[in-house]
Amino acid sequence: MKILVCIKPVPDSESEIAIDDSKSWIKEINLFRMNRFDEFALEEALSIKDRDKNVKIDVISVGSAASKDVIKRALGMGADSGILIYTEDPGYISPYMTAGYIASYVKEKSYDIIFTGVMSEDYMHGQVGPFIAEMLGRPCASFVVKQEILYDSKCVYAEREIDGGLIEAVQVSLPAVFTIHSGINKPRYPSLSNMLRAGRTEIEIIDSNLISFPVLKQKIMLLTVPEKRREGVVLSGSVKEKAARLLHILSEKAFIN
Amino acid sequence: MQKDSEKIIYIVAEHFENIIKPVTYELVACACKIKKFYPANIRVIILGKETEKLSFEIARTTGLDVTAIEINELAFNNAQIYKDVLKELTEESHPSFVLFANTPHGLDVACGLSVRTGGACIAGVEGIDKIGETLCFRKQMFYGKINAHIAADSDTLIITVQPGTFGIYRPESQKPGSVETRKVQYSSEIMPVIVKRRSETLDSPISEAKVIVSAGNGIGERENLDLIYKLAGIFPGSAVGGSRILVDRGWLEYKQQIGLTGTQVAPELYIACGISGASQHLAGMKGSGFIVAINKDKGAAIFNESDICVVEDLKTFIPALIEEYEKESKA
Ligand SMILES: Cc1cc2nc3c(=O)[nH]c(=O)nc-3n(C[C@H](O)[C@H](O)[C@H](O)COP(=O)(O)OP(=O)(O)OC[C@H]3O[C@@H](n4cnc5c(N)ncnc54)[C@H](O)[C@@H]3O)c2cc1C
Repeated sequence: MKILVCIKPVPDSESEIAIDDSKSWIKEINLFRMNRFDEFALEEALSIKDRDKNVKIDVISVGSAASKDVIKRALGMGADSGILIYTEDPGYISPYMTAGYIASYVKEKSYDIIFTGVMSEDYMHGQVGPFIAEMLGRPCASFVVKQEILYDSKCVYAEREIDGGLIEAVQVSLPAVFTIHSGINKPRYPSLSNMLRAGRTEIEIIDSNLISFPVLKQKIMLLTVPEKRREGVVLSGSVKEKAARLLHILSEKAFIN
Repeated sequence: MQKDSEKIIYIVAEHFENIIKPVTYELVACACKIKKFYPANIRVIILGKETEKLSFEIARTTGLDVTAIEINELAFNNAQIYKDVLKELTEESHPSFVLFANTPHGLDVACGLSVRTGGACIAGVEGIDKIGETLCFRKQMFYGKINAHIAADSDTLIITVQPGTFGIYRPESQKPGSVETRKVQYSSEIMPVIVKRRSETLDSPISEAKVIVSAGNGIGERENLDLIYKLAGIFPGSAVGGSRILVDRGWLEYKQQIGLTGTQVAPELYIACGISGASQHLAGMKGSGFIVAINKDKGAAIFNESDICVVEDLKTFIPALIEEYEKESKA
């Protein structure tokens, strides 16, 4: 069995995000980590491999240098090999483009399962997984919170979170695409031995310019900073002064006695 | 070229267990907003096994014309059937826009329709505006810190609308719309689907609490939950909640999860500690009476939803707050 896991780097939630001079993209960011939803997707693949040593896991990322680091981390967690579809431009890549690159790569291969995270934390589209499935003409189960391979029937039983408190259970025949939701497992940390191996493993690098597919025209015209929807009084002073001020406000509003 | 009077905006209704989901009326509100910039006729499409009650309900409450597509094979919201049927409909009538709810179901179908018809698809739309002459769709990026205004050059543009952002549509006219019902037979093989409730219940005192102190990933270590519980202890009638991340880790129970896929709360006071303010979290708490956010990142999106912003490390601020409180109550 072969599994492909799609991963990407994202800036952390604490990173400063500033709009650049073009007003349609952000200033360069230097610190990235793996998208959390992708960690869950990768862990799900690794846990299948834990039970069956014949499973082979590839990870794939569309991007530039930062993608290499998350691929290395994925290898450190236990993936077998990594593929980078290299794009020169560090700017915005639409989910349709990302999916197009990955689907083009996959067409030539024979993956039984493709896992992605439900969405990337930075772009927040949630479209790459369903797009890949559709481009390949394969079934897709999105927002998966539980899955189990039914080897006899070449199916996966998957539970999708379709609403707060509601679960949809589906049976999907392989090959198929699954987008993995958070909380499905506890992603492992890279191990030292795997990290050493990762250091020696060559990442397969593919030039995105060599991949072509019909493109849908969509672009970011402008980035703006969201408006404040409430008063948003920023407390000032030392920690102690802020604490005293907040207490004062809360007792004036009778939240504390 | 289509004349304005021939241009169409389709809304794909969402329903479950014979009830129209409120987000359907938010799609109507979004369509009306689009119509201000782009004159067109709005039509609601509803797919289902039995649609009579629901289609007339939509026609009555919105005054819009409805096309009901009855498919006997359609148990639950099977995305595969939706994609096939909507592709045909789109190719037949060339709508300028097709609107879905940005739910697991809506997103799935929207992406499928996009690839199948070659229409661009923008997901998670929260607003509409014109930049110069170009119609743009606003969505959040980067943990809600940035809004992107996206335009697409596409004969049919497919949009998924973020629930809870456009408000519910209130019609001006009392005249109900017309209902056209079509019956479609679906013969392809269908993926088996069943729907069940999550085993843990959402029944929790949290929806009744007057004050909610809520913890996010910013607490860092599990031990720091103690700080959150201590802080909650100051307030009579309080409960502790949190973001999905902490529930995923098992640090909090599911019934404490606040947000789109947890509990929606509106306490008199909500204190967000180390929460970034992603839209899925905001969906569960933005109706709160008074919101205080403690976050060390002054750019965190949660501050846009807050009455009081405390830009501090919660590990130093919360102990200081508790100390100050104890000092005051002794005095
Ligand atoms: C379909 C779907 C459904 C979802 N449903 C929900 C839901 O119901 N509820 C929900 O909450 N999420 C939900 N999410 C997840 C959501 O998108 C976010 O990932 C999540 O809300 C982020 O949680 P957080 O704010 O705690 O963590 P982060 O985004 O990591 O934010 C942590 C924050 O803490 C701050 N911080 C860090 N250290 C400190 C410190 N020492 N002192 C003060 N501040 C600090 C940081 O600046 C940052 O702003 C859902 C996602 C999807 C895709």
